[in-house]
Amino acid sequence: MRRWLDRCFWGLTGLAALLACALLLGIVAFLLHRGLPALSWSFLVQDTVGAGSGGGILYQLLGTVILIATAFATAAPLAVALALAATVYARGKGTRRRFEVALYALNGLPSIVLGIVGLIVFGKLLGWGKSWLAGGLILGWMILPTVTIALLERIQAIPRRYFEAAAALGLPRGRIVRSVVLPQSLGGLISGSLLGLARAAGETAPILFTAAVFSGATLPSGIRDNPVLALPYHIFVLAQDTLDPEAGTRLWAAAFVLLALVLLLGLAALPARLAAHEEARHG
Amino acid sequence: MTSPSPPAVGLTPPLAPRQAPRLSLRGRRIEGLRLVCWAASGLTAATLLGLLALLAVQSLPVWRHEGVRGFLLGDVWFYRGQRFGALPMIYGTTVVAGIALLLAAPLGLGAAVFTAEGISGRARLAVKGAIELLAGVPSVVYGLLGVLVLRDLVFRALRPFDPLSGDTLLTGGVLLAVMILPTVMTFADDALRGVAASQRQAARALGLTRTETTLRVVLPQALPGLLAAVLLGLGRALGETIAVFLVVGRMDNRLPESWLDPTPVAAAGQTLTSKLGGSETFLAYGDPLHWAAITGLALVLLLGVATVTLGGVSLAARGASGSASRSSRGSAVPSSGGGPDASLA
Repeated sequence: MRRWLDRCFWGLTGLAALLACALLLGIVAFLLHRGLPALSWSFLVQDTVGAGSGGGILYQLLGTVILIATAFATAAPLAVALALAATVYARGKGTRRRFEVALYALNGLPSIVLGIVGLIVFGKLLGWGKSWLAGGLILGWMILPTVTIALLERIQAIPRRYFEAAAALGLPRGRIVRSVVLPQSLGGLISGSLLGLARAAGETAPILFTAAVFSGATLPSGIRDNPVLALPYHIFVLAQDTLDPEAGTRLWAAAFVLLALVLLLGLAALPARLAAHEEARHG
Repeated sequence: MTSPSPPAVGLTPPLAPRQAPRLSLRGRRIEGLRLVCWAASGLTAATLLGLLALLAVQSLPVWRHEGVRGFLLGDVWFYRGQRFGALPMIYGTTVVAGIALLLAAPLGLGAAVFTAEGISGRARLAVKGAIELLAGVPSVVYGLLGVLVLRDLVFRALRPFDPLSGDTLLTGGVLLAVMILPTVMTFADDALRGVAASQRQAARALGLTRTETTLRVVLPQALPGLLAAVLLGLGRALGETIAVFLVVGRMDNRLPESWLDPTPVAAAGQTLTSKLGGSETFLAYGDPLHWAAITGLALVLLLGVATVTLGGVSLAARGASGSASRSSRGSAVPSSGGGPDASLA
């Protein structure tokens, strides 16, 4: 009876795990299956024709790259400063705790709230209209916790003897930061950024009102009223109106390209993340 | 090797605060770097507070117009008549997130038990990796799958109840369940792995089967962390916009006669997020009162999500520190612990 229960239990939980994994594979396979007819090199390097029924997704892709590059440029320096402040300069547990709470609060912000606030700040107060810079800045704030936490974890995992050796050499604190902390935690910054960018690339809600348009934009030439096309927004708009079967296939292909972009960024960050987590627990 | 005097480095802050010599020019530059770091921290704090203040100030007219009670509990949202009651949207969000939790919590917790207790080595890494990746699938992709696949399935399943379309609160809830599954799984897995291995060994040595060990020894200890996993999943479900927007139907909910009446679940509905993401936000842009109502919804959503998420984070931290003190690994490096980091995926 007990052994029978044992088997039942593992069977059930295993089934749950299998289902979860099958979902991922299913999603990838399904998108690939539906989008494959339209996927080609020219799909990636051509402009869109006729509201998604022809052509490719060149400017959507470029727009997304512009947005995530801006987000990276916003988030990375801030993340380094925050992580250093929290690990090197913070005195006492209370301060560090406040850092963590602030980071988790920022991370828990619903992306649509960021979009609305962005609309108030950049649209209403600064009068930018829709601008790539507004979108990039908002996405940057959105991924800041991801990057910072990855960096923090890595800094905290630096072996203590490195600091002891540096201190024994009589190096001042700033020099230790530059010669030990930053080089040793670079991997955390990179994997955190990749993960953050994966998230930023796929987000629609923050750029809905602030940065993205469906058509009529190419590369930005200024800040004010310089929106961009963006891959997630493109899919979002087409998903609400998919009667044309030709547009449908292209829509699936666009979704596959977005998914591939996000998964590649995530995959690049994965080994570092798994290693950090599994080691921290069982090393 | 180590001196008995206060150690310069290696304590919880890796570098002791007063270690830098302040006399040299170098020392000054160091303090410059420190200033930059604190300025960035101040900027972050100011942004967070500013964001809250901005929403509060912008939504002020609607709180005056409807009163706090009237806005939160008013059941009519009719902007042409200047009636702004948020309850239909709050109801929609609650129902959708509730359905998502009902489906994702058992599935996610079960799967986490399997990945944490049932398998190890490469198989475990493979599953963990797949789940991490699944967490990164953009919500618009889920939304698209919802529109073109799930909507028809729900429509067919609901046919006995004669639905108008497949765009229902139920569809939104099911889609959300899939989306929060990785969150629940990752946190629950972290919580279970946080229980010291010696506890399992002791239980097994007493003759308990692996199932009994898991149910009677591991699960009780991991309980705060598991609860945190569910709360963090809930936080994500409450705030998710794009996928829900595409499948929920976006008709302001008519509140049911009784809170237990399930009929609205099979009808088109509206959540806080789908309202905010919709065209009404643009419509409201020019009208101060209407705009205040929209930002009021955003504020309500923000406060709800923040409460749930921070509750989850503090529970996770408690669970992690509890199990860390139980295990005797004595690692020199204080790991940031339980897993709030994983949600950042």
